[in-house]
Amino acid sequence: MEQIRAYLKKSATYQLIQILEDGLEDFLTTFGEITIRGLSALKYILTFKINWKEVLEQSARFGVSSLPITISIVSMTSIIVAMQVAGEMVKQGGGNYVGLLVAMLTVRETGIIMSGFAIISMIGSSLASEIATMRVTEQIDAITVLGVDPVRYLFVPRIIAGTLMMPPVMIIASTCGILGGGVASTLVSELSYKAYFSSVWSGLFIYDIKVAIAKAFTYGFTIALISCTCGYIAKGGAKGVGIATTKAVVWSFVAIVFLDLVFSIAFFF
Amino acid sequence: MIKVQNLIKTFDEKTVLNDISFEVNDGETLAIVGFSGSGKSTILKIICGLLEEDSGTILTSEGDIAMVFQYSALFDSLNVHDNIIFALRERKELRKLYTEEDLDKIVEEKLKLVGLEGVEDKYPSELSGGMQKRVSFARAIVTNPKTILYDEPTAGLDPISSTLIEDYIVRLKEETHAASIVVTHQMSTIQRTADKVLMLYNGKCVFQGSPQEMCEQGNEYTKQFVTASLTGPMKMLTE
Ligand SMILES: Nc1ncnc2c1ncn2[C@@H]1O[C@H](COP(=O)(O)OP(=O)(O)OP(=O)(O)O)[C@@H](O)[C@H]1O
Ligand SMILES: [Mg+2]
Repeated sequence: MEQIRAYLKKSATYQLIQILEDGLEDFLTTFGEITIRGLSALKYILTFKINWKEVLEQSARFGVSSLPITISIVSMTSIIVAMQVAGEMVKQGGGNYVGLLVAMLTVRETGIIMSGFAIISMIGSSLASEIATMRVTEQIDAITVLGVDPVRYLFVPRIIAGTLMMPPVMIIASTCGILGGGVASTLVSELSYKAYFSSVWSGLFIYDIKVAIAKAFTYGFTIALISCTCGYIAKGGAKGVGIATTKAVVWSFVAIVFLDLVFSIAFFF
Repeated sequence: MIKVQNLIKTFDEKTVLNDISFEVNDGETLAIVGFSGSGKSTILKIICGLLEEDSGTILTSEGDIAMVFQYSALFDSLNVHDNIIFALRERKELRKLYTEEDLDKIVEEKLKLVGLEGVEDKYPSELSGGMQKRVSFARAIVTNPKTILYDEPTAGLDPISSTLIEDYIVRLKEETHAASIVVTHQMSTIQRTADKVLMLYNGKCVFQGSPQEMCEQGNEYTKQFVTASLTGPMKMLTE
């Protein structure tokens, strides 16, 4: 009997089930933690228990230090789109629509989603590893023993900063993207600046911009919350910090893409 | 007062604390000794609420519980000054009580107590291990706690700094009448600070009594500990 049991334990099916079980457990605990920490952070935010000085410091980190990379990524995406379509569209007599296409695509999707990706890889990962390091070196335990709630001290300023800084970052990056698209279009086709920009205006809708800003708030909040939580629940030493950072990045990426799908369904269909 | 009764704690099927009971009155210091991995830090973490016990009761006096962590656990993004006054600045009910000048004065005073001066603006990474330990000591006692837990407060300190800290543990106990627990491996710390000693081995309490009893009578466990002998009932390699 024992031998059969040992044999079965080695079988692929058993191992697969084991992996699924561990994976599901990890997924559910992480999801639960994110929800719980998010709610308790919201509680502090809604009662204005906020350290504004710390918010300012974190905002600089979110907004200023990430800006060069965010602008580059969003601009390059728009430039690539413009380069790919401008030549062909002008040839087919659709030159008047190049600006419209680039503007609409940037405002609706690439501006915000590429900004999100840039912020995740730069800020989300650093938030997660910072907080995970505090966890494994018992600094978070020390905060708790000193009578301070780590969620209030660590999460709240970072979440507020993330939420507030994401829209301006997105707006600046998207503007640069649309300008970059113009430069690219005129370089690869006979399109004039004037034609490009007048068509940009016809592709900018107030409604789209409002939705983009709503997305930016939501994504900023989500990225900061997920990154802080993944760091907060880290275990073990240096390896734990690494795992937490990876987890924060992966979860944020998936969350952003998922939320983008939800937004698209809710607002454009 | 700290009262622990029938405390049991298990980590992944390994029972680290198996039915531990003890009591520390106000104005008393208990030293907990035992092998590495015998659950000393775990007891402290359960008392200050960082870990949940599996069963048993823990009672402490009202008021703050302070803990000096084994590896200091200073906030490395804050300088020494901000580390020390962390609780005073971040806790709402305490924040109103002090002006910035008060805080500066408190920092200076606490640093002097632990034998450091002029390190206010340094960051933890710029301090030696022993200095970090002393700063963490200063940070822990800033709220005048009624229960103080020291996890190896003198480990890694030179003998003179150790004596300084030991004297201060005693002085603090006399002044504030707090109940304290000191986890330590050093006989000098036991003899200078402790009123009682509790010895752990394999999750069980194998000795409880005064330091004097530990040295003079004791049992084969304490004899082995005091003489640091390799032969005796305690084996390093327990699985
Ligand atoms: N969070 C945890 N998860 C799993 N096991 C743990 C955890 N914390 C402690 N342990 C285990 O509990 C036992 C006791 O650990 P503890 O840190 O209390 O020992 P200690 O007596 O303080 O040792 P040292 O003198 O080295 O500091 C160890 O075997 C350790 O592996
Ligand atoms: Mg320990």
